[in-house]
Amino acid sequence: MLNPLRSAAGSRSGSHLRVLADEELMQLVYRGNADAFEVVYDRHADAAFSLALRMCRQRAMAEDVVQEAFLSLWRSGARYDRSRGSVRSWTLGIVHNRAIDALRRKSVRDRVTIVQEGIEEKLPARERTEVEFARRDEAREIRDALRRLPDEQSRVIELAYYGGLTHTEIAQALDAPVGTVKGRMRLGLAKMRSALGEAAAEVSS
Amino acid sequence: MNVRDHGGCERFGEDAAPYVLDALTEAERGAFEAHLQDCEGCREEVASLQPVVAALAAAVPQGQAPSPLKDSVMRTVAMEAGLRRRQAPGQDGALRGRPSWSWPSWRVALGVAATFALGVVVALALSGGGTGGTRLIRAQVTFPRASALLRIEGSSAELDIADMPQSPRGKVYELWVKRAGAAEPTNALFTVSSTGRATVGVPGGVRGVKVVMVTAEPQGGTSVPTSSPVVVASL
Repeated sequence: MLNPLRSAAGSRSGSHLRVLADEELMQLVYRGNADAFEVVYDRHADAAFSLALRMCRQRAMAEDVVQEAFLSLWRSGARYDRSRGSVRSWTLGIVHNRAIDALRRKSVRDRVTIVQEGIEEKLPARERTEVEFARRDEAREIRDALRRLPDEQSRVIELAYYGGLTHTEIAQALDAPVGTVKGRMRLGLAKMRSALGEAAAEVSS
Repeated sequence: MNVRDHGGCERFGEDAAPYVLDALTEAERGAFEAHLQDCEGCREEVASLQPVVAALAAAVPQGQAPSPLKDSVMRTVAMEAGLRRRQAPGQDGALRGRPSWSWPSWRVALGVAATFALGVVVALALSGGGTGGTRLIRAQVTFPRASALLRIEGSSAELDIADMPQSPRGKVYELWVKRAGAAEPTNALFTVSSTGRATVGVPGGVRGVKVVMVTAEPQGGTSVPTSSPVVVASL
């Protein structure tokens, strides 16, 4: 039988913890276990940094955001609630919040420019495992769903989510009524929800 | 196309989408969150949109976090973990006074998951771990970054060590067991790999053993410990 302890050999500290699921590791993080935290970091740091870099477009700023986010995770591990989603989603949510805080110290014009640079593949990436391949496929699928939206809908979603603009700032930037911006957000997200739901159904059928 | 209306809520329904996108102002966010307490339609709308937003987070081109970033984060974490241990040996001092946290499924899976810092037993039911199951005991280690886990199956046991510094020049690590009285030497002398790893079987098993420990000793080992233990696993 494969020994899970041995199979983790070669990894760094707390290798025996690498057999645990994220949710179990978060229990140890809550109790102040630095090794468990390191495993969580290793699993999610690349995704966290990728999101931060996409939003900030500056490596130094993205690094600050990721550092703040993970230290927040370390210090407030107790706030993780598995009923509200995966550790990955929770971690990326913290990164998003921190990046928004950082972005909102920039001018609206700067943030619009940042978003206009697009979300094309520009980063060197390691592709080592099937899980990572699957994640990259999934990421492409979501980007495709976003691209298939009418421009005015994808644009407000990108400006809000990746640019950290509020709906009123978007309304001003696009010279559109606030109600229209909110409506586009709602329609766009609802269409993506349908598209992603259909994709998931196809995979599972 | 099955596009929902906005939760059927006339007053706040349009705020669900900007809320999940974090595009409301602070004041609007506060008002909407207060409203969510009372409006089931908006709660459902938010819950149905949140997975889409989680997908947006994962949709960005995937790159690699820089290594120095991890070093920087882990330095702070190690320092704070050490501080917590010193503040409250035996428990996580920084977390004292917090309300108890309910994690039923994890507790069932891990059995007793109590004061980890002191090397208390963690009965970990590893799937397929043999007829009697596997018991893991987290050992105390004097080196902050190092960790050690004693894995027991029946009466046999192995010590799995990670991130341990090399033994001092001219010395090796020696494994000892304690039953009723003094530490008894074993013939397990070892060094760790360049990455600080070692897996050492406990000669003779752990029947009747109360403590498994490691000291650094002169080459060839000794019959009584000549230095303080660097690893202590209490059974």
